[in-house]
Parts: sequence; C-alpha cells; structure tokens
Amino acid sequence: MRLNPATFYLALVAAFCICAAMNNPAQQLPVGHATDFTSSQYFEPPHEQQVKMRLSGAEALPLPGGLLDVRQLRVETFGLDGKTQVVVRAPQCSYAPLDGVANSAGHMDLQSGDGKIHVEGDGFLWRQTTSALTISNHVRTLINMPEATMTGS
Amino acid sequence: MKKLIFLLALGVGGLAMAQTNGLAALATKGPAAAKPKPPTEINSDSADFDLNTHQAIYRGHVQVVDPKVRLTCELMLVDLPQGGEHLNHVVAATNVVVDFTNERGEKYHVTAAQAVYDFKVVNAVTNETVTFTGKPVVDTTTTTIYSEPMVWDRARNHFIFTEPTMISKETGTNGPASKLF
Repeated sequence: MRLNPATFYLALVAAFCICAAMNNPAQQLPVGHATDFTSSQYFEPPHEQQVKMRLSGAEALPLPGGLLDVRQLRVETFGLDGKTQVVVRAPQCSYAPLDGVANSAGHMDLQSGDGKIHVEGDGFLWRQTTSALTISNHVRTLINMPEATMTGS
Repeated sequence: MKKLIFLLALGVGGLAMAQTNGLAALATKGPAAAKPKPPTEINSDSADFDLNTHQAIYRGHVQVVDPKVRLTCELMLVDLPQGGEHLNHVVAATNVVVDFTNERGEKYHVTAAQAVYDFKVVNAVTNETVTFTGKPVVDTTTTTIYSEPMVWDRARNHFIFTEPTMISKETGTNGPASKLF
C-alpha cells in the first residue's frame, strides 16, 4: 500500500493539532503545514489577546511516543508590550506536544530581544509551561553593555 | 565593631575600579553612558534560564571573562536585565576568585566564598556595591587583607573593611590594618 504524500502531511498536521490542543487550551493550533508550523501561547486574562510565547519550526516529523522531530526550532517570548524578549533557536530537537517539552543534544542559541545578550551551548531542555530553559554543556554567554559610569553621591 | 573606610586615593581603589569590570561590569548604566566596551563573557558547564523571572543560574566551572578582570566560581545567579535596564543583582558563590590588574599594573587576587553585586537607584542616588563574605581575602604583591565582610561601594569609590587584618609582605608584620594605614 502506497501512502500519498499529501495524505501523510495532512495526517501529520492533524496529529500535531490534536496534541497541541490537548496540551494547552490557550495555545493556538499550528497553522500552515508540517513543514512550516507555528504554535502560540497567550497571556492570562485580561491580556489573553496578546501572544506570550510562539514556538515554530521549519519541519516536523513524527517520532515514536507522540514526539515530533522538529527542524529549525524557534521559540520566541514576548512581553505585555508586544516586544520580543528572547529568541531561542536550535537546528533540531525532539518536541513533546503533550508535555510542552523540547530537548536536544545538539547546539542551540538564545538571544535577547534587544540583542545585548547572546547565549549558546550544547544540549538543552525547554519547558514550555514554565518558560524554563536548561542548557547542559558548554554554556557561553556574551553580554554587551555600555561602559558603567559613576553616579553615586 | 570597627569599620574602616579606605578611600580610592589610598590605592586600594584600584580594586574597586577593576572589579567594576568584573562582577559589576555585567552591568550597564543608563543611556547617558554610551561608551562601548567589549562584551563580558560568562562560561559555565551548564545553566538554567527562567524566562518568566529573567533569571539565569550558571553552574560548574563558572568563568567571567572581561577585558580587565577574570572571575571564577562554581555557581552564579544573574538577574538578567531587560530592555537595556541596568543589571541589578548578581550572586557568585563557592570558591569565588577574582583576578585583575589595575591601571598602575598592580595585580590583585581576591578570594571569598560568596560575592554579591547589587545596584539600585533611590531618590536619584545610585547605590552600587559588591559584598564579599565567607573569609574574603585581598592579596596583592605587597599586602594581604582579611575582612569579614568586605564591601566595595562602587558608587562612592571606596572599600569598607570590617575589623580587617593586614599582612605586609615587605615587612612580614601582622596586625590590624588601621595601624598600617
């Protein structure tokens, strides 16, 4: 039996949508198709119209256990003012939609919205529900700040 | 309790200036201070970031590399600044070691169990301090100073020692720092 590619992708997207919906009712279902998806999480009321976190990937392939193999992961967090606070990127990771957990043994990087803080390392665990990121190895942080000045009295 | 304040002019102030570029140099002042500087680098074995509270915890072989100072410890907590705000709280813990060279080429070696950097502005007055605790020691080529705690008031350019003991390496004498200064 041959599987039509279109049917396969539709099934994949449907599975992803169901998993995401079960995970967090506040999340927006992934849009587009499995090769270009986005999942958004919103602030609690009264700011329920504003996006708090957006997870996106260039490609998602199903793995055993309900996991997804995500390529070109991008996680963005936003403040109530709508400004980007942090962008996390990874070439590849495993994503568990039910648990809202992404992890990888590979490289990742993080950049603050203002571009002044850059973090990179190898191996990470991202917990979507708590916005917690653990980097396991070789963590390197660069902080670009202007020179401090004396302002005391 | 006897507290001594050594002004920057005594020479120890070099420590303050150099440390500014260490723990404290993770910080930035307001937009008026626009002079660029090389980035401060923090390396560690692992790290946890809480993107809700904007807090980072670095663990294992933590190393802060700055153009003028080198800091190592085993654990460091950093409240990450947001939107260009001033970095206001850093805690370095366990085997804290700070090495730097001041403008006159004098080398300093500071050890302590913990160092806490705090920055805040109250009524337009800047309070910026680094507090060393856990048997802090300042070691230079000529002297060694013990003080518990040891507070560097960066905003006012002085160190505050509490019941310090100073050992002069040149004379080999031990005694209270007050007599030597």
